[in-house]
Amino acid sequence: MKKITIDPITRLEGHGKIEIFLDDQGNVANAYLQIPELRGFEKFCEGRPVEELPRITPRICGVCPGAHHMASTKATDAVFHVDPPPAAKKLRELYYCAHMCHSHIAHFYALAAPDFVLGPDADPTQRNVLGVIDKVGLEVGGEVLKHRAYAQEIQAVIGGKATHSVCGLPGGMSRAITEEERADFEEKAKSMVEFAKFSLKLFDDVVLANKDYVDLILGDIYTMKSYYMGLVDANNKVNFYDGDIRVVDPEGKQVAKFKPADYLDYVAEHTEPWSYLKFPFLKKVGWKGFVEGKESGVYRVAPLARLNVADGMATPLAQEAYEKMYSTLGGKPVHATLAFHWARLVELMYAAERLLELCRDKEVTDPNVRTIPTATPDEGVGVVEAPRGTLFHHYQTDEKGMVKKVNLIVATGNNHAAMCMSIKKAAQGLIKAGKVISEGLLNMVEMAFRAYDPCMACATHTLPGQMPLEVIIYDAEGNIVRRLSQHLHSEPGIRVAVVP
Amino acid sequence: MKTLVLGLGNPILCDDSVGFRVVQTLEGRFGQDVVVMETSLAGLSLLDLLVGYDKVILIDSIQTKRGKVGEVYRLDTGDFATTKHTASPHDVNLATALELGKRLGLAIPREIAIFAIEVQDVTTFGESCTPQVERAIPKVVDMVVSELDRQC
Repeated sequence: MKKITIDPITRLEGHGKIEIFLDDQGNVANAYLQIPELRGFEKFCEGRPVEELPRITPRICGVCPGAHHMASTKATDAVFHVDPPPAAKKLRELYYCAHMCHSHIAHFYALAAPDFVLGPDADPTQRNVLGVIDKVGLEVGGEVLKHRAYAQEIQAVIGGKATHSVCGLPGGMSRAITEEERADFEEKAKSMVEFAKFSLKLFDDVVLANKDYVDLILGDIYTMKSYYMGLVDANNKVNFYDGDIRVVDPEGKQVAKFKPADYLDYVAEHTEPWSYLKFPFLKKVGWKGFVEGKESGVYRVAPLARLNVADGMATPLAQEAYEKMYSTLGGKPVHATLAFHWARLVELMYAAERLLELCRDKEVTDPNVRTIPTATPDEGVGVVEAPRGTLFHHYQTDEKGMVKKVNLIVATGNNHAAMCMSIKKAAQGLIKAGKVISEGLLNMVEMAFRAYDPCMACATHTLPGQMPLEVIIYDAEGNIVRRLSQHLHSEPGIRVAVVP
Repeated sequence: MKTLVLGLGNPILCDDSVGFRVVQTLEGRFGQDVVVMETSLAGLSLLDLLVGYDKVILIDSIQTKRGKVGEVYRLDTGDFATTKHTASPHDVNLATALELGKRLGLAIPREIAIFAIEVQDVTTFGESCTPQVERAIPKVVDMVVSELDRQC
């Protein structure tokens, strides 16, 4: 059996990789995605005051610390049985919409756009954000950085720090915002709405105007029929910060709607000997293996899932974009994995519009942003929609509020089984006996998992701090016959200059 | 010359905290022209921090295939220029971020020196480093100090 390895981290032992096994004919027999797990987190948290967790949990992820901060803060509200005042909830949601804008902009322009603007099989030295701005214009690059920065500045003002914020407390927020700050946010939010419109237009011009791309999105190799999960508000519209969790089946029919605190009645976790990370599935449907369809408890989260579970978007321009997406892609639900990119931009529109709504809400400057907890702490669950999917934080404490147990189901964890299946399906569709396995072809396999915007143990910042991709092709005897390396000689390329 | 000394890493992930540990030792030892800071940011967010400085000294952990734990390397951004490809699951790498900043006319530092410490464990949560990495900290501190002395 031949083996192809797509190894996203070459220098960090134990990091995520994609392995594709070929049969003797050269067709794909199987494919695995392996995501590493950081060790000892639960133990690290045990015995600490629970109100410290909103500052500790963001450290497990370098990509969505804002999401961990919010889920954690909400979990501490629940642990102390305290309901924050309206202004605190609005301020948290405002902060969180800015976080969504920041994350979705970064993913679309730095990671999704290169595959479409330059093409899936373009020269990898060009297929990056620099290549994108070469093609669409330098001024677009400026706008990308500007709006990312706006989102960061809003988070920094509310959160104390843009990335590892410290604002969330059980029962509310550490401080209110001033009228001056609100007015500044409003200007930034207005600009963000325009930028979201521009981004959707860019998607129209670059992706939708190209029939090949639309065919690629709708093609069988990137299609997977699964259940979907996401937070919805009281009107079943998408909400990132709060609401009930709704689950729809592959036909789009609601099969569950539950409170975050009841998640263990609906979600169970399957383990595989080859993976550190577990595979969450719908308890009532059951684990039937890595298979698609209504009989299988595999579900998906993140932008497309959120849109699939909702009846619509709560803001007008996002609703318009939502309707356009579904009418173009053949109605709800959409099972096309590459449509996650489009859904992400629909969400960018919603996050920007909701940000502006909240900035114009006079209550957001109300100085009453904290309800002091008085109940005895015990147990609580907090859920938000991270940019890359539903995020669960569940804490148990003693009567003094010291942590006894922590359980997290992270966004990428929810999508774990689905990502494995998407990679296998893409690999089987693309790699065929006798066909040359080019770099472009393997990039198209990676596109199947990049669409999910996964986050793999990115809490480590060790150099090079990123995930270079390496592809190794083995012959039937396990010898390397070819090495396709996107990161180019990084290992011997390190020049050791000074070792006193 | 406006200089930024920036420790990178994760303060609660064992050896990944070494950059933080080094800059904590350096805080308050220099004049106004030298800003000492710690961060867990990468990519475009890291770019935001670097803009406006003449020189930046980064301190971070590193893992190389045949590296000896505790060794310290002095590198520059050229050593990472080969990773300009889109490779991160969510962000761009330092070389790409700097190039993007340059093309957009941002005030990118003229010089970026990187002190990288070969580390052992970056996957276990904990607030201290492994012993060999711990022993390297004073050495890195001295290297940063002489780097700064040289420019004065």
